[in-house]
Amino acid sequence: MTTYATTPPPPVPEDVSGLGHNRGTDFSGEAGQIDADGVHAWFSGRLVLAGVTLTMEKSKVTALIGPSGCGKSTFLRILNRMHEVVPGAQLAGSVRLDGLDIYGPGQRAMETRRHIGMVFQKPNPFPAMTIAENVLAGLRFSRVSAGDKGDLVEASLTKAGLWKEVKDRLGELGGALSGGQQQRLCIARALAVKPRVLLMDEPCSALDPTSTLRIEETIKDIADEVTVVIVTHNMQQAQRVSDYCAFFLAEENLPGRVIEAGRTETIFGNPTDQRTFDYVNGQFG
Amino acid sequence: MQAAPPGVLIANSSVSTGSLPTRQPSRPVPPTRGPGDPSGGTPDPPAPRRLPTPIRPGAVGPQDVALIVVSALSSFCLVWVVFYQLTSLTGGLGFLVCWYAGFLALTWFGTSQVIERQVATDRVAGILVWTAGLLIIGIVIFIVAWVTYKAVPSIHWSALFTKDQRTLAASDPNLLNHVGVLQAIVGTLEQVLMATLMGVPFAIATAVYLNEVGTGRTARLVRTVVTAMSGTPSIVAGVFIYSIFIFTGVLHYSGFAASLALVVILLPSVTRVVEEVLRVVPSGLREASLSLGAPEWRTVWSVVIPTARSGVVTAVLLGVARIVGETAPLIFTAFGSQVLNANPLVHDQGALPLVILSNTHAAQQVLIDIAFQAAFVLMSIVLILFVLARYFSRTKSKKSGRAQPTEDDMMARYFLPIPIERSPE
Ligand SMILES: Nc1ncnc2c1ncn2[C@@H]1O[C@H](COP(=O)(O)OP(=O)(O)OP(=O)(O)O)[C@@H](O)[C@H]1O
Ligand SMILES: [Mg+2]
Repeated sequence: MTTYATTPPPPVPEDVSGLGHNRGTDFSGEAGQIDADGVHAWFSGRLVLAGVTLTMEKSKVTALIGPSGCGKSTFLRILNRMHEVVPGAQLAGSVRLDGLDIYGPGQRAMETRRHIGMVFQKPNPFPAMTIAENVLAGLRFSRVSAGDKGDLVEASLTKAGLWKEVKDRLGELGGALSGGQQQRLCIARALAVKPRVLLMDEPCSALDPTSTLRIEETIKDIADEVTVVIVTHNMQQAQRVSDYCAFFLAEENLPGRVIEAGRTETIFGNPTDQRTFDYVNGQFG
Repeated sequence: MQAAPPGVLIANSSVSTGSLPTRQPSRPVPPTRGPGDPSGGTPDPPAPRRLPTPIRPGAVGPQDVALIVVSALSSFCLVWVVFYQLTSLTGGLGFLVCWYAGFLALTWFGTSQVIERQVATDRVAGILVWTAGLLIIGIVIFIVAWVTYKAVPSIHWSALFTKDQRTLAASDPNLLNHVGVLQAIVGTLEQVLMATLMGVPFAIATAVYLNEVGTGRTARLVRTVVTAMSGTPSIVAGVFIYSIFIFTGVLHYSGFAASLALVVILLPSVTRVVEEVLRVVPSGLREASLSLGAPEWRTVWSVVIPTARSGVVTAVLLGVARIVGETAPLIFTAFGSQVLNANPLVHDQGALPLVILSNTHAAQQVLIDIAFQAAFVLMSIVLILFVLARYFSRTKSKKSGRAQPTEDDMMARYFLPIPIERSPE
């Protein structure tokens, strides 16, 4: 059973098309802003995340940092309703995409996920599909007509910085790529459905430095068109790519919380909380 | 060949230490490997690329072979003396078993003396699993060869696939000219096809329920029921269909009734195997699909099942193999017929297992021949089905039509020595 938001519905008409409007085939659609308010999360009755209130600004890159097990992935998955896929998972609080509560009555998870895409830690291209089919998978799944498919494949792969490497191999299976290429293919696949927000859970942790830099460039390139929320354990990466930063921490026997959030320069250069200072300077635990 | 230092085992010392030093003086080649290397200032024709002789560390060496051969021989002699001379037992099978046991014991003892106990235990375990593998191959070859040997000489190919048994009379000396097993081939194909068409989608749906949808108590109950169902004796499946549908007059004896009984047998085995196959599909793929906005049925249909395709095909093959030779459930349902009846919905229908059943014990040689011919045809059908299914289930890269490299290809690519380019000499 999922505990839904107790906050009153936001002052937005009951218009589902507020989420579902058509953005055409170019990438010039607008990014979205996410407001998380008082988010709590439980796994099988155990509270792992308490009272997270955080705004992820439109067209900006927000980095979530913090030690292992503090609930960053859980929070990220709450933002596109992937949390409820886990059996026994519950949550409270509200998450709004451009003002519309994604957990509000009548909101379907599928619809939400189409607008808030996700890239996972481990590259997971669909092994039974070709590279081109992988890119188009999201559209096929949600039966959205794509206009010209070839253009979309090229545009998405170019955005993800993979087009040059694979343009002659579009018919090969997705699993035939290297790990870094697979991850960029996953980014292209997520971008092809034109999400307004892209969530990335340690997207570079399995990759070499070169691929990591490629993906960071990709993130910067796409940031005007899609809001990016990225979880990373790499402090340099957080500094390189993010505009805003939120430090999560789960102190002993307590659920995870946001200790400090703000502009990346502030968090890294002049944090107000001693624990943040310790963590970003590598003096933690 | 140098002697290994005492206590140190170099399994293939002949390769690793013997061949390299002796070869170098015998053929003078430039020490460099690159072609076109200027030696002596003049541009020579490209020197042949010399690669070191590949060795396989840990490969079986002469000492190992000697140990095993000596163990086998001495076990043979020892057991022969004990078995036939001292205790005067008889029987070839008992002798073989004792020989094998003695062989294992001697191998272990010898290896542990010459090398060490860990290696001895490892080697005995290796021999056991090799024996199992070879035994399986032997059994299969024996069955196939035996049936072929008994069936083929008496086959009249023009009649076998074109005639049924309506003119069967055991006293006729030219019987096999005008009697075949057509009615049984048609019956078996129809029954198995119908059972597969009904059973496989049902089984896959159940497996998807168990693995993707069902949670907690209901799924556990279904799983238990399916497992129990796979323990149903096949004759019970036949009796069940008979008493429910035929005895009550709902259905005639017919191919369709037979296929219903076969579904009861097919369903649990395919369900369980498909469930296992779906379970190994990484959950990351499901999450990736869901996070793209796919509904759950789409995720299963377009991601999970295609990823597991070759395993699902194997499951279906196992199921078909399971039912194609089932005899007991057909007795009460198809009933068997000597006359071709291509309509599976009404009237008795023949089946290859029933032909085998009713002719194997006959007194006349010609009927026994027919039984073996039916067995031969049944085996061939299974073989053809398997080859076809494997052929069509190969994972293919769709656009380029290039078959995806199999695991064996990958192994070959990594472990085969690089081909040596021959220079035109
Ligand atoms: N599926 C699950 N079932 C039960 N507990 C879970 C599950 N997933 C996560 N948890 C628990 O929730 C807490 C937060 O986990 P989460 O994965 O969000 O941490 P994280 O910050 O992403 O850590 P990491 O940096 O190691 O990825 C942890 O205590 C973890 O044990
Ligand atoms: Mg995590």
